[in-house]
Amino acid sequence: MTPTMSSTSTAIPPSQHPFADIIHRLEAGGAMLPDTPENLMQIIGIYKAYAVPMDFYWRDLLYIAERVFLNPVPAFKYFLPQEYLDLHNHYAGDDADLRIWRGEATAHPELLDFIKKGETKKSWPKLFHHLWHDRINMEFAEACMRAMLWHRKMYAPVNRFDPYLDTDEYKANADRAIRAYFKNNPLMLSLHKLFPEMFIEKVRELSYYANLGLFWEVMAPVFFEMSDLYDEGKITSVPEAMNFLVNGIFAIAGRPIYHHVYIDGECYEIIPKSQGMTWLYEAALPYVESVFYRTAPFRGTKSYNAQAGQVPAEQADFHYGILYADVFPVGTAGIPPTLLMQDMRHFLPSYLVDYYSQHCRGQDDMLIQLGITFQRSMYCVTSAVIQALRQALLYPLDDPNPEHLMANRQFFESQMDRFLRPEARLRDIQRQDYR
Amino acid sequence: MLSTLIWLPFLGAIALACLPASISSKQIRWLTLWLTGGILLWSLSLLLQFDLHTPTLQMQEYLPWLDSLGLNYQLGVDGLSITLVILNSFLTWIAVFSSAEHVERPRLFYSLMLICSGGVAGAFLAQNLLLFFLFYELELVPFYLLISIWGGERRNYAATKFLIYTALSGALILIGFLGLVWLTGASSFAYSAVVGQSLPMLSQLILLGILLVGFGIKVPLVPFHTWLPDTYTAASTPTAILLGGILAKLGAYGIFRFGLGLFPDAWSVLAPGLATWAAISVLYGAMAAIAQTDIKRMVAYSSVGHMGYILLGGAALTTLSMVGAVSQMVAHGLILAILFHLVGLVELKVGTRELNVLNGLMNPIRGLPTISALLVLGGMASAGIPGLAGFIAEFLIFQGSYTVFPIQTLLCVVGTGLTAVYFVILLNRTCFGKLDNAIAYFPKVEWGERVPALILAWIIFLLGVQPSWLVRWSESTTTAMVSMVSPSTTPMITITTAMQSTEALMIPKN
Repeated sequence: MTPTMSSTSTAIPPSQHPFADIIHRLEAGGAMLPDTPENLMQIIGIYKAYAVPMDFYWRDLLYIAERVFLNPVPAFKYFLPQEYLDLHNHYAGDDADLRIWRGEATAHPELLDFIKKGETKKSWPKLFHHLWHDRINMEFAEACMRAMLWHRKMYAPVNRFDPYLDTDEYKANADRAIRAYFKNNPLMLSLHKLFPEMFIEKVRELSYYANLGLFWEVMAPVFFEMSDLYDEGKITSVPEAMNFLVNGIFAIAGRPIYHHVYIDGECYEIIPKSQGMTWLYEAALPYVESVFYRTAPFRGTKSYNAQAGQVPAEQADFHYGILYADVFPVGTAGIPPTLLMQDMRHFLPSYLVDYYSQHCRGQDDMLIQLGITFQRSMYCVTSAVIQALRQALLYPLDDPNPEHLMANRQFFESQMDRFLRPEARLRDIQRQDYR
Repeated sequence: MLSTLIWLPFLGAIALACLPASISSKQIRWLTLWLTGGILLWSLSLLLQFDLHTPTLQMQEYLPWLDSLGLNYQLGVDGLSITLVILNSFLTWIAVFSSAEHVERPRLFYSLMLICSGGVAGAFLAQNLLLFFLFYELELVPFYLLISIWGGERRNYAATKFLIYTALSGALILIGFLGLVWLTGASSFAYSAVVGQSLPMLSQLILLGILLVGFGIKVPLVPFHTWLPDTYTAASTPTAILLGGILAKLGAYGIFRFGLGLFPDAWSVLAPGLATWAAISVLYGAMAAIAQTDIKRMVAYSSVGHMGYILLGGAALTTLSMVGAVSQMVAHGLILAILFHLVGLVELKVGTRELNVLNGLMNPIRGLPTISALLVLGGMASAGIPGLAGFIAEFLIFQGSYTVFPIQTLLCVVGTGLTAVYFVILLNRTCFGKLDNAIAYFPKVEWGERVPALILAWIIFLLGVQPSWLVRWSESTTTAMVSMVSPSTTPMITITTAMQSTEALMIPKN
């Protein structure tokens, strides 16, 4: 569907911004990503391929935050117990708080099948699959979590999650859980006494595990549902896909964000639900800011030579997020972007496999092709976030008041300013041959 | 036996030319590949019959032809030519392998390649000056056509330049040969008839000078090299392999066979000047290569430098340096072939040879990682890194030349260092760094395209770790050539005897 021009085009003069075309598209209710069937097919396909490993990510993130906790040798933290595979997603299944996906609440069948046999389809012991990296690569999820941890103080004061981690209340809650966890371990307790901030800081990290786990618990069913709707012919354009995301964002914006730990059957509320942390402000916005804009584990060949002045002094000046990423892997197999691409590759819908086979080097560079598709899809998600923020903070797109429309324009222009850097891929994704 | 190496390619060329138009380029390529493969096997079989201890000609063939002109069909092979004959057969096979599956006018293309191969083999094997000249001149037209029809940008300019220079080279060589026969009053142009004839030193110097310029154009040596970068750059990959790998060696072979072989006294007089000439060629070639931004042109200039080592080895005229010089001809032929093949692939896939544009080809998924890795190996071999064929040849030359011409040798060693400089520049800019998103949509390299480079790399490595397989063939002949000039300057030990004496030291005496 080609976005129709809104009243904006006649009520206020055209934008003079370098990305004027994209701004006009946003004002017409479109996305940063051009609305083409090829783009739609790519982003929906990759959402589905992303959602399956994401279904593992959120479960394992919560498992680590809630159960593994401060285990000094967490060698088996990626071995998800059945209890967490059976854990009901709050946004899928019959008993959902809000049913976004019409599928099951437990782990996705494709995920369960993959956990069982892996890519090698061998019935080797689980440890072999793990060491062979024939598994879901949680390293990517952890890298995203660390990006959020490193870029603290985002969206203050709207984001209350981060300041809360420095409060006495949080420290007291964490301290209580630490003591309970190490009650039979005098060595660790001694360390905690000697260096009281050490385990507190570790618990802060675990709180981000919980934060990201709860964020992705929502996103996985959203993406599954979008894939199903596309297959059913109910999503037919990029703006429709984006609007589904915008509606989803508002529908679950108030979902509580918390951090509970279970020690010997007892629940320790490190961040209680009563604090009123919510999905949109305490999880979604910090996630988008840190992973999409600042420091995604998706760095490609970007240099981090501090002595050469390549690392900004201010964290806000970082521009190493997914939206800026050069997705060509450096060559080392273990860096997170390669692992994410590998994870997604296992669950690609057949139409996307066929599509990649017809372009560039086909199967040989499919990881890069799907990485660039992923980048396109994240521009669509970012468009949804920008539209949601505009909707929450500013005015409707069809507002008759030119001043309001101008305020919207200024908001869009300020958002587009972030993509003026040469590293930004916004220009690239306008071209279909960027693969 | 030897005639097969000449006439089989010619007959093959005629047969290919007569093939019906319905046969595809791919099929003709495969036919040529089989034919050149057979010729290669045939040339390798010569090694089985070759006597390592005989310095004189072997497997000689003779057919009277135009006796009144002194032109007869005389062939033979010795330690100087045996490896070059095999190099010719091998690189022809590699050149056919590295040609594209779909070539315009394939019958003519492959026929010309076979004619070139047969002509070069004839020149290496000819033991009659006029017969050599005929074969030497025979390649001129096919190479001209290969460059002007299938070449790249400025191919007509390059082909014409090549034609003019090579024709001039041929004319000078003919003058030299005629002058020699007339002045000596020899009864024929047979090599055996003119070798050992005495001439006044001045006449010798003039004739040697003419031949040096004539063959120096073909090698080429500075300042007769200006055709080379244009021609190598404009030529297609298979033609560049033949030009650099084989044709240039014909010039070096001519200098040794006819310059040194026929005028040994004059050679020893000119030797210091030749060594200086060699050093200038080496340094000039290396510095010109550093200044290039076109990787094919860089490789072409590297050839100018590396051919200088051969002249240094010949000028020093010690057993070691001569063995090194002959080995360098083979090693350089192999290294240049792999470099041209790889550079050709880079150009084919990326669409440019410009250092300022190329970057990050080592990227494992979207780059050309295998090609880049082999390019690194080729650069290392060219820079004389130990363990590779280039090191053996250069080391023998330097080791043998230092006692005779220390300054020139040291200057050439500096040239080796400069070789490392421009290859580091080439590799750093081409293979390493960041692959540009905007251009990184190169087609993948097929296995068939990698095979020639893999074979060459394997041989370069093999000869590097087992150098006796490279040097043993020429040892007795080069020793004889050295002793022919001045026994006093010849080291008393050869490589083999040196190895034997080393072994003897290791055996405890009772």
